[in-house]
Amino acid sequence: MYWVSVITEAGIFAILALGLDVVWGWSGDFDLAFYGYLALGSYLTFVLSIGKPTPPVEYIIGWHLPVLLAIPLAVVVVVGLAAVIGAVALRNLREIYFAVTTLAAVSAVYLLVENYTPLFDGYNGVYGLINPGQTALNLTYNGYRIFLLFVVLFLLFLAYLLVQRLSRSPFGRLLRAIREDERAAAAYGRRVFFTKYRAYLLGAALAGLTGGLFAIFISAFNPSAWTPQELLVIYAAILVGGRGNPRGVIAGVFVVYIGFIELTRFLPSPASRPDFGPAMRQILIGLLIILMLRFRPQGIFRERPGVDRGPRPAAAEPAPAPEPGEAVR
Amino acid sequence: MTTFLVSVGIGLATAAILSLSAVAFTLEYAVSRIANFAHGEFLTIGAYAAYSGQRFFHQSVVAAALIAAVAGMLAGLALNACLIEQFRGRSAITVFIATLGAALIVQNVLVIAYGAANLSYSFTQGGLHHVGPFLWTTSDLEVIFSALTVAALIFLLLQRTRFGKAIRAVSQDRALAQVSGIPARRIVMQTWALSGAISGFAGFVLADTIGTFGPQLGFSFLLLTITATVTGGIGRPYATLGGALIVGLVIQIAGAYTSSAYQLVYAFLLLVILMLLRPNGVFVRRTAMEVRA
Repeated sequence: MYWVSVITEAGIFAILALGLDVVWGWSGDFDLAFYGYLALGSYLTFVLSIGKPTPPVEYIIGWHLPVLLAIPLAVVVVVGLAAVIGAVALRNLREIYFAVTTLAAVSAVYLLVENYTPLFDGYNGVYGLINPGQTALNLTYNGYRIFLLFVVLFLLFLAYLLVQRLSRSPFGRLLRAIREDERAAAAYGRRVFFTKYRAYLLGAALAGLTGGLFAIFISAFNPSAWTPQELLVIYAAILVGGRGNPRGVIAGVFVVYIGFIELTRFLPSPASRPDFGPAMRQILIGLLIILMLRFRPQGIFRERPGVDRGPRPAAAEPAPAPEPGEAVR
Repeated sequence: MTTFLVSVGIGLATAAILSLSAVAFTLEYAVSRIANFAHGEFLTIGAYAAYSGQRFFHQSVVAAALIAAVAGMLAGLALNACLIEQFRGRSAITVFIATLGAALIVQNVLVIAYGAANLSYSFTQGGLHHVGPFLWTTSDLEVIFSALTVAALIFLLLQRTRFGKAIRAVSQDRALAQVSGIPARRIVMQTWALSGAISGFAGFVLADTIGTFGPQLGFSFLLLTITATVTGGIGRPYATLGGALIVGLVIQIAGAYTSSAYQLVYAFLLLVILMLLRPNGVFVRRTAMEVRA
């Protein structure tokens, strides 16, 4: 059962990483608010499905929808929020300006959620979504967890197919062209903002879905579950696997999650210092990020360059000799 | 009116700490052209070094402040040598992510060394003083005084010394400074040492003012530092000082009239708005092209 839980978690984060890779790997926007979309998706799945709050617990909405309806609804709201944030942030902000702005936005929201209890019960968070549909499916507790694993892996497969198809599509190639040289793409008449915007919404949708799955997986959610550190692990996983390569990203998540969780489990952790293990893990993540960036920024699986399937003019007709002084391309 | 004046007083004290941290951040940006996300860790290292030092130096505030500055300086030198210089020529966002990794490492090394629980100094805050219309503790006054001193020293350093002239040259164009005979590498290193020292001192002051501190001290202060820097204008030391003053006053006054829990929310919203409207700072005339670069 331990392995079921580890692989389920890695599978959930692999979906998140695929979404993040669309935004960062293809589009080139280093988004530090991304974990906020997972958090919102998670919170909304809870408040849409666990019913009215009992005092002193308080949160908004409190409907009693089935989870299969709650998660799509949560994804819709998340995409709606991303539509607003993306419309503002993607228009002019790039690189560090984009990163800092998204971090500030998510930090403001974080503080609000933490301190304003009527929203999602502040520090305590929301809980109580325990194996939804277990009785309807007529499964034992363990049986349900295995069932959840297969659902997650199936969704991961679907997400992979979608992302893989998009990656090779004109849309995916255009995104990469914009990432490499935004002005050149604009000069060729491509709609830079609109293309980036669509990628951003796709990423947010996958994050919202991840949030819903995460809600079922851990059955409780509070502010300490979405600190910036959590997002860095995902970035580290993408870096290890290979930025911009969907297969690599999934491999990276499994390597980082399973590798690190397993390796750090055997670290000596004195009983008096329960924080030793987690701290050691964070240090290794930090080192991993720096070393990958320094020595192998393309990751284990490099991004596959697009193939030009068009006719080759060079073969059909000899190109005129370049004028002296003209740059040869 | 009393609420207003008291919060202006606290705002000035906040602005003083903020100005130290923001000036250091802006100097790092000026010479290396990167946003250092491990900047907060210089403050944290300073605060912890002062904590360790206070046992050996019999509660001397001056000794603790000096130890904090030296520790911050060493951290600045180490980060520049081990990380920033190793990543020269790489894109700004790559270095930014690398410093984020460094921040993660430092925070957790401190967790292992000192534990995750909050610590506090045993210095006294001193009595309350009425200065004009404001109400300050003795340590508030010391903070404001030391921030003014540091600001004055930085002004003299940048305007009146060869080192300052070299910093300004390197910050405009490192390669050009190099071919003009300025030892750019050494100037960059010394600037990181200087800003590390200022940050370490700021960390000690911040921890002492808040009362308790943990491994996240600097990291949680970083966004506020960036807000102050961006408000003034990143890479411009004097504008940054002005930005710190604005941000310190805005969050304390807005916090006093609503709830202090939301102080940082105002700061971050201010940062978002500034990023969208005046990304080069409120004191700088707007230029559209610089934002994209």
